[in-house]
Amino acid sequence: MKKCLLMLCLLFFSLSVFADDAVLELEKAPIHRNDMGSVERGAGLFSSICMSCHTLIYLRYDAFAQKHGVRYDRMPVNVKWPTGAVPPDLSLEASVRGVDWIYTYLHSFYMDSARSTGFNNLLVPNTMMPDILVTYRGMQVLSQDADLSESYEHTLEWYDELTLKSPGSVSEQQFDAMITDIVNFLAYAAEPYHEQQVHLGVWVLGFLLILFVLVYLLKSEYWKDLK
Amino acid sequence: MSNVTEHATQKRERSIKRWINARFPLQEFWTKHLTHYFAPRNFNFWYYFGSFSLLVLVNQIITGIWLAMDYTPTATEAFASVQHIMRDVRFGWLLRLMHSTGASAFFVVVYLHMYRGLIYGSYRKPRELLWLIGMLIYITLLLEAFTGYVLPWGQMSYWGAEVITSFASAIPYVGKFLVVWLRGDYSVSGVTLHRFFSLHVIAVPLVLLGLVFLHLVALHYVGSNNPDGIDIKTKKDAQGVPLDGIAFHPYYTLKDLVGVVVFLMIFFWVIFYAPTMGGLFLEAENFTPANSMMTPAHIAPVWYMTPFYAILRAIPNKFFGLSAMAAAIALMFVLPWLDRSPVRSIRYKGTCSKVAIVVFVICFIGLGYVGIMPVSPVLSIMAQIFAVGYFAFFLLMPFYTSLETTKPLPERLTS
Repeated sequence: MKKCLLMLCLLFFSLSVFADDAVLELEKAPIHRNDMGSVERGAGLFSSICMSCHTLIYLRYDAFAQKHGVRYDRMPVNVKWPTGAVPPDLSLEASVRGVDWIYTYLHSFYMDSARSTGFNNLLVPNTMMPDILVTYRGMQVLSQDADLSESYEHTLEWYDELTLKSPGSVSEQQFDAMITDIVNFLAYAAEPYHEQQVHLGVWVLGFLLILFVLVYLLKSEYWKDLK
Repeated sequence: MSNVTEHATQKRERSIKRWINARFPLQEFWTKHLTHYFAPRNFNFWYYFGSFSLLVLVNQIITGIWLAMDYTPTATEAFASVQHIMRDVRFGWLLRLMHSTGASAFFVVVYLHMYRGLIYGSYRKPRELLWLIGMLIYITLLLEAFTGYVLPWGQMSYWGAEVITSFASAIPYVGKFLVVWLRGDYSVSGVTLHRFFSLHVIAVPLVLLGLVFLHLVALHYVGSNNPDGIDIKTKKDAQGVPLDGIAFHPYYTLKDLVGVVVFLMIFFWVIFYAPTMGGLFLEAENFTPANSMMTPAHIAPVWYMTPFYAILRAIPNKFFGLSAMAAAIALMFVLPWLDRSPVRSIRYKGTCSKVAIVVFVICFIGLGYVGIMPVSPVLSIMAQIFAVGYFAFFLLMPFYTSLETTKPLPERLTS
């Protein structure tokens, strides 16, 4: 019985990682959401790289994003793509998929001549997105010993399955930092109020704590008479 | 000098009170329902949740009013207008998170409030009607939650509405007609969204407020039960005040106030630091706009509906599954007539009743868990076992409550 309950609890707490058909283990994105420098760099990278295809329509009136180049008038709004696939709007991508998902996705592209784009992705097999970051990262190919067929039995890490064939314009560490900044910016894009939320929380909870002491003393004062 | 002004103020206040009381029973109401409403002195932890639900109701109404100012109930605008509230409206995110967290908080406190009634036998004579009104509130609340969940117009909103409205199609003969009538369209669409908005902001809240009023009227007529489940009105002092009763105001108003502050601390902690609650309060899938051409891989209602959803899924036949779900709720209505124990409170009931409550809690939470998860063979069997436990708790109640030996009741409240 106890074991059963324990199992239930464990299953319950693993809920947040809803099955996403992903056979790949998501790598934890090393972002710090209060590192605004990183968010700023991410905005710059987003506007110069990602925004050639993707929009962030809900950031239309976001002063911070505008200041750092993510401007609505530069977004590819209503652009039709010859392939038929429409690159999704990424305003809420960090809420829908999670930051770790984006971080892993951008890392796990590899060369695949069978695809019309020339690229494939471990996390989203047959993704329609080309590897736009290839010039920075360098070309990745599937490792010799990569066996994706077994992936259902044990989880895989993207870096065990892919090998860098030819280096790109930045080092591995620089590339990781670059992706981290982009992901950090997308986290901001999904919840631009996050900083205000976290700060206001301290004040509200602090106020309630003081109020608790006061009302508790008041209550005790009255209830004393009942004894 | 100040004494003179103070005296004048007091005099003016008295005359205002006199003026009002000659025209409206303000003083009478205050005395009857607060300062001379005597409640049992031994209310414990479980007795906070009634006032918490009132508080959350007020929270939902106030935040709802402000959200409706910026929300647009059309298929093309709804999703974007929620994002507009979250981003461009000053403190809009706070209003929205207070409302979304409030919805889940409402069910948390209402479930705990109902559990209190269950363990202390608060539904027993003369409080059967109080319980029935409470059950109607619960059903109305489910409707309110369901219509509200559709409004953000995300994928889960859309497909949740599609699945839940399709339940009506299982009703013989009129089912197919009924589904179209409910949706106002052949599938969930902007028409459905717009009518659900109307229901959510005016129709259902009106009913809810009316029922809450009746619930309080009935409560103050029969008086509160207590953890001992004995009547405090049988032993009174010379003034007619129950010996084990204390004035609701100031004693319970202040005690509830302490509870309210603790509740708010938890409530706001969730709002500021965990508003999605790992996908339980706000589902990740619902951050994608509604798309009638793309069915999500896994559709589940929000956590507070999943126990009944699990019962529905536990039975492979749609009609019988739906009947079982309806029966599961109907059984809660007839609870006052299923309990045949000579005592009200679990404190004095026998072992069978205590085991039954534990089994019930495990089954209810178990069903809730299974209802959230995608269907799997193991979970289906678990759902069936939990459903049997759930029904057994109610259907066997007349037997185990009347056959077991109970403990003798105390003359006065024990704690």
